[in-house]
Amino acid sequence: MKQLMIILALMAPPVMAQDFAEGSEAKSWNLYGESPARFEAKVVDILCEITGDCASDCGGGTRQLGLLRKADDVLVFPNKNAQPAFSGAVVELAPFCGKEVEVDGLLITDPDLGAKHIYLVQKIRNLGDPEWTAANRFTGEWAKANPEAKGKGPWFRRDPRIRAEIAAHGYTGIGPEAEKPFIKEWFE
Amino acid sequence: MWKMAISALLMMLGATAAQAAGGERIQVKGEIIDTWCYYSGVMGGPDAVVGSAHHTCALWCSAGGIPVGLLAEDGTVYMVLKIEGDANSAGGDTQLKLASHEITADGMFYRRDGLNYLVVEKVVTDHGITNLNHEDYGPIPGFAIPDPTK
Repeated sequence: MKQLMIILALMAPPVMAQDFAEGSEAKSWNLYGESPARFEAKVVDILCEITGDCASDCGGGTRQLGLLRKADDVLVFPNKNAQPAFSGAVVELAPFCGKEVEVDGLLITDPDLGAKHIYLVQKIRNLGDPEWTAANRFTGEWAKANPEAKGKGPWFRRDPRIRAEIAAHGYTGIGPEAEKPFIKEWFE
Repeated sequence: MWKMAISALLMMLGATAAQAAGGERIQVKGEIIDTWCYYSGVMGGPDAVVGSAHHTCALWCSAGGIPVGLLAEDGTVYMVLKIEGDANSAGGDTQLKLASHEITADGMFYRRDGLNYLVVEKVVTDHGITNLNHEDYGPIPGFAIPDPTK
């Protein structure tokens, strides 16, 4: 019985909540429910991890990527990179597909909204590497992929797909003509 | 004794495998939202970061690769991983065109570590943008609509 108990104890998930703030250098965004978190993890294709529907190279930057945390096997979902620019985390994580990494950033927890293990990644490095890579590559990669959209202003004002959607359906989605009275009144 | 230990071990391994491979077929109605603004509160409360008030920001975030979710009528958020065969969940066209739309989705539901995941096999109905809250909240964020007088 003693041997059985030892085996089961070894297999049981950690009961105590772990403090991932130790050693974190993450900058606060003053968000409700944020907490600094630095941890080791494996970068995984979430669709593959959840359903078994896998793609080579984690989808090459097209699929959402997760962080399978080494300490407790929890699948952390990075929603955001470090730029205040409406940009996700996939561009930052894609070069590390399938690799063991260390990340630093902010966990978002809000039980009222169901937010759990949501993450804003600020920097990343291969496990054991001395150098960090800042998770702020999105805008540069967008510019490389959209040379025809070169110009002034932030990427989201120049993105051809976004511009096409707004031209067709307006800023509110109800249609450019239908929203005209609202916009006129809003800026009066 | 060792037989008991091995049996327990196999049962636990079996349960883990079943969780990974499992999934439940569901049909759910809700709005395609930008999960970062919703979860983080960076733009304000949950009622302000949905619907027509937040449509432009939802486009920005979807195109920027922020994951989209389906906010169901009961308040449950499902992280959407695939829509009608399109697995481009990081900025793909299918999800971009559904930003802020209310849809009825048929697909497979999974749960892992406290988050809900949805693989949409079919958009049964695209109801369009039904939450017309821009008159109540104005554009969220305030600079979403450029000032036409400038």
